[in-house]
Amino acid sequence: MEKWRIIQFGRFNAFENMAIDEAIFRECQGGHMPPTLRFYSWERDTVSMGYFQDAHREVNLDYCSANHIDVVRRPTGGKAVLHENDLTYSVVARDDTTHFSSDIMETYRVISECLIGGLHRIGIETQMMEEGRSRTKATMDAYCFSVPSQYELLVKGRKICGSAQVRAKGAFLQHGSILIDTDPVHTHSAITIEEGNSEDGLERVKASVTSIRKNIGDGFTIASLCDGISEAFEERLNVHFVDGAITREEESLKKLLLQEKYTKDLWNVEGKRTNEN
Amino acid sequence: MSFYPDDLLYSREHTWARIDGNIATVGITDYGQEKLEEILSIKLPEIDSSVEQDEPFTMIESSKTVDELISPVSGDIISVNEDLSDDVGIINSDPYDTGWLITVDVRDLSILDNLLDAWEYGDYVEEEEEVDE
Repeated sequence: MEKWRIIQFGRFNAFENMAIDEAIFRECQGGHMPPTLRFYSWERDTVSMGYFQDAHREVNLDYCSANHIDVVRRPTGGKAVLHENDLTYSVVARDDTTHFSSDIMETYRVISECLIGGLHRIGIETQMMEEGRSRTKATMDAYCFSVPSQYELLVKGRKICGSAQVRAKGAFLQHGSILIDTDPVHTHSAITIEEGNSEDGLERVKASVTSIRKNIGDGFTIASLCDGISEAFEERLNVHFVDGAITREEESLKKLLLQEKYTKDLWNVEGKRTNEN
Repeated sequence: MSFYPDDLLYSREHTWARIDGNIATVGITDYGQEKLEEILSIKLPEIDSSVEQDEPFTMIESSKTVDELISPVSGDIISVNEDLSDDVGIINSDPYDTGWLITVDVRDLSILDNLLDAWEYGDYVEEEEEVDE
C-alpha cells in the first residue's frame, strides 16, 4: 500500500501557513517527498487572496488593518477567503502519483470525494457541484464562497468548502477552507464582495455559504474532523498515512519564502516578487 | 478535437513557436488551452527579460488552477500581446493567432531541434491522454 505523509493539525500565522505549503510543494516537485496531507488553521483572522487578485480592489485593506486581520497572497488561484473559524487542508502530490494525473478537474474530483467522506464521518452530507458556473460571468465576485465551481462541496445548495490549486513542474498543491463557522458581516466587510449596494452583497454572502456548526452544532471536534478526512483519503485512495513533520529542507525553504516573499507587502499586496515585475 | 497547424513547432509542455528568421512567436497549443479550461488571467512578462527553453516564463490562471507556462525557446522577449490585458479569453478562442503570448529573439536556433513537429506533437498528446485515462 502506498505511503503518504500526514502533517497533523497545527495553528500558524498567515505567512507561515503559505510558506509551509509552498515549501512542501517545491520539495515535492523534485520527487523527493511522498504525497502530503496537512491540516492547519490561522493564529489571527486572515484574508487569503488568490494569486491574481487585486488587493486594492478586492480586499478592504483599511478594514483588515483596523481589525487586526492579516492579509496574505496564496500561491494558488481563486478568490479571497476570510479564515476566521475554519479548518484548512492542503494536499501536495506529483501528477504521476496513483489516482492523480495532469487533468486538473480530475484532481479536484478525487480530493472532493475524500472530503465528502470525511464530512460524512462527522454527520454532514454534502453534494458535489457537477457543473460549475463560469468564472468570467462572476468576475465581480471577489469572495471565494460566492461562486460554486465544478466539484466543490455544497450542503443544501450552500458552499461549505472552497479550494484552489497551483501546478508546476509535474506537481500540484491544492488547499481549501472548510467552514466551521461563519460571520457574514465580518466577511462582507473584509472582502469587497461587489460594487453597488452593500446590503445586497451581505445578503448574497449569507445566502451562499453554510458551515459545519450550522449543520451539526457542536457535535464534532477539530480532531474528529481531521481524522474523518484522513480516513476517507485512506479508504478512497487505498493509501496509508504516516505521521510526519516538515523536513529540514522544507524548513529551510519555508524560512527563505517567509523572508523573501510571504512577509513582504510587495508580494501580499502588490502580487510581485521583485520591483521589476 | 484539438488541432495542430503544421507550420509550428511544439513543446512537450503544450506551448508552440512560430519561427520567422530568428524571431519566435510563442503561444499555448489548442490542447493546452483545453486542459486549462476557461482562462481568467495571465501575468504578461516584461519586454527585454530573457526566457530559457523548458523554463517557466509566466503564470496563467484558469477557472481552477494557477499554472506555469514553459518557454519552447531561449532568448529575449521583444514584445508581449497587449490585447490579452483586455480579453484573455482569446487564448481559448484563437490560441494560434490572436491569442499569441510573446515574441522572442531566439538566441540559438539549434535548440529548435528539441521541439516537436505537428505530427510528433499529436502523437505525444495521444500518449498523454492515455496516461491520464
